[in-house]
Amino acid sequence: MSELIDVSVEFSRLKLANPVFTASGTCGYADELADFTNVNQLGGFITKSITAKLRQGNDTPRVVETDSGMLNAIGLANIGLDAFIQEKLPIIAKLTVPVFVNVAGETIDDYVAVVQRLATEQAIAGFELNISCPNVAKGGLSFGTDPAQVTEITSAVKQAAGEKVLMVKLSPCVTDISVIARAAVEAGADALSLINTFTAMVIDIETRKPVLANKTGGLSGPVIKPIAVYLVNKVYNEVTKERGIPILGLGGIRTASDAVEFIIAGATAVAVGTANFVEPNCTTKIIEGLKRYCTSHNITNIKELIGSLG
Amino acid sequence: MTNESFGPNKGMFDAAVFANKQIGQRFYRLGLEFSADAAAAFAKASPGQFAELDLSGIALPPVEGIAEDLRDVSERKILLRRPFSFCDVSSHRGKTKVEILYCALGPATLRMTALSAGKSVSVIGPLGNGFRMPAGKKMVLLVSGGMGAGPLIHLAKTLTADCPDVEAIAFAGAKTKTELPFEKPTDEISQQLGFSLHEFARFGVESVLATDDGSIGYQGLITDCFSKWLGQRSLLARDAIIYSCGPEKMLARMAKIAEDKKIDCQISMERMMACGFGVCQSCAVKCKVNGSGETLYKLCCKDGPVFDTREVIFSA
Ligand SMILES: Cc1cc2nc3c(=O)[nH]c(=O)nc-3n(C[C@H](O)[C@H](O)[C@H](O)COP(=O)(O)OP(=O)(O)OC[C@H]3O[C@@H](n4cnc5c(N)ncnc54)[C@H](O)[C@@H]3O)c2cc1C
Ligand SMILES: Cc1cc2nc3c(=O)[nH]c(=O)nc-3n(C[C@H](O)[C@H](O)[C@H](O)COP(=O)(O)O)c2cc1C
Ligand code: FES
Repeated sequence: MSELIDVSVEFSRLKLANPVFTASGTCGYADELADFTNVNQLGGFITKSITAKLRQGNDTPRVVETDSGMLNAIGLANIGLDAFIQEKLPIIAKLTVPVFVNVAGETIDDYVAVVQRLATEQAIAGFELNISCPNVAKGGLSFGTDPAQVTEITSAVKQAAGEKVLMVKLSPCVTDISVIARAAVEAGADALSLINTFTAMVIDIETRKPVLANKTGGLSGPVIKPIAVYLVNKVYNEVTKERGIPILGLGGIRTASDAVEFIIAGATAVAVGTANFVEPNCTTKIIEGLKRYCTSHNITNIKELIGSLG
Repeated sequence: MTNESFGPNKGMFDAAVFANKQIGQRFYRLGLEFSADAAAAFAKASPGQFAELDLSGIALPPVEGIAEDLRDVSERKILLRRPFSFCDVSSHRGKTKVEILYCALGPATLRMTALSAGKSVSVIGPLGNGFRMPAGKKMVLLVSGGMGAGPLIHLAKTLTADCPDVEAIAFAGAKTKTELPFEKPTDEISQQLGFSLHEFARFGVESVLATDDGSIGYQGLITDCFSKWLGQRSLLARDAIIYSCGPEKMLARMAKIAEDKKIDCQISMERMMACGFGVCQSCAVKCKVNGSGETLYKLCCKDGPVFDTREVIFSA
């Protein structure tokens, strides 16, 4: 029965076999994950953030657990554009799922440089613009909290991205996320992803110092899910619905029910981050669970669910 | 990638608990049994490799069973898996038994004490790179601090099986007697070599103990004890190799001793790990770039947890 259910979705110019992605920074460049799950079963794959030059990242501890969540301050540690092209692109080229390269930088030129170099690569379906990383001194979140800068960076990258789908990843650490969402969409974003992590702190009460070397980190995991669902619904109602722009919803998803909530709230697709660390094959489970949900609720096409909040 | 012909090298598997024995005030030995593909994967596990256990679904032991100083922290809900190395791995008739020596010190390890025989646990592994044995070594020195003894017990076993001509000696230290993660030392304890630690003696490996407070064995740091011992021996540096596991401060001291004596030294490092299999970048270890003043971060879970002391820049 569940084979008759259509879980495919249209995500901007892409047709996805199902609406489940892995989130940036939680699945590397797909190679390590292959030991635990079949990446090609996904709806889409998003790489760790790539920057123009290699980034060493922050000192350790870079992560700390908290009730039903975790904080990370990796500091965008990544191999840099050249090594990405040499070492990782060939691996990605073998995948049959659409791959988004997540791009980060300190200046607009940094972002444009990475996107320009990759815009002609067949292996890449699109870019996810990370203007919402809370763990770096320059760039990152500072782009994502100011609508004028969001406009500027989105339009510059849009030009460089050519035919590739451009998705802009939003931070929840703003007064009104719809203002930022609108700026991105009006400057040419083909899709939005939300949310990135919340800036947070855990204190070691013995030393009276922050646990993380970076002092603060980004909060992710089940603890942020209800806020993420709310923000997806808000952006869907206030910005994307009337413009037909798809949302990739994420934040704390671990089960199919979690994914269904996001879709009902207005997400066309969802991404799974932190949960991959605990259950590296949980995306497979979620895809199966989505089909089961549709079957038991007499839904033949998952598109019926998108934004169906009553 | 998986190696089809020999089954996967690693994966996410369910293990059956066959034992979980308390061996000291806070120390336990957990026995896990794997079948089928998992048995094949873990049969290949080498000393120093580790596994990630999902302990989030296990209920806490009754509050009376929890040390008073841990009752408050024990209530924290856990989300992430926890990394543990092995103190023994054995295969028989398609099943592989893996034992873990652990200390109950926080919410996850306290839950671990509640695992009873017959229960099932989700395990990802075996992960990382274990200790390597360069050719031509005649003398192996195993030096552990506190909980670090586990992988060195496993190493003592494989060494005596694979390299019977190599002499091995174990040095084990802790703050005080009750913080040594062994079942009661059997023989008279002195500051000399002896077969006092059953865990090593069963492989014909003698041991020396040290405690900071002198409650058993040498009084002082295990690194001082080891250093003194080295000073009394005339030992060809190139014949010897040191394997060590323990707190980072101790490992930094071991690195210094090894450098001074020009003896090869491999250590098993720890970092807070969110994934354990190389995707999250949380477990960075600062390392020297060969022949230059530059540094780079390696991943404890994927490039380690065993490192050569010459490459590591210690944070402690
Ligand atoms: C490769 C590797 C192998 C390990 N092997 C063993 C083993 O064989 N036996 C064993 O008992 N423990 C081992 N550990 C440590 C073990 O993972 C931690 O003790 C465990 O995660 C604690 O979980 P908890 O929830 O009980 O306590 P938490 O509340 O998470 O921690 C309690 C205390 O332990 C410290 N701690 C927690 N995790 C780590 C860590 N990864 N490294 C250093 N300190 C930590 C915390 O800072 C805190 O002070 C290993 C760790 C690594 C990285
Ligand atoms: C360890 C870790 C590393 C991350 N790295 C990145 C990154 O490089 N770029 C990015 O855009 N988001 C990064 N994120 C954020 C996630 O993609 C995601 O937005 C966030 O974790 C919320 O989803 P979750 O609760 O399912 O994890 C990272 C998250 C974690 C936990
Ligand atoms: S713990 Fe995730 S990369 Fe090492």
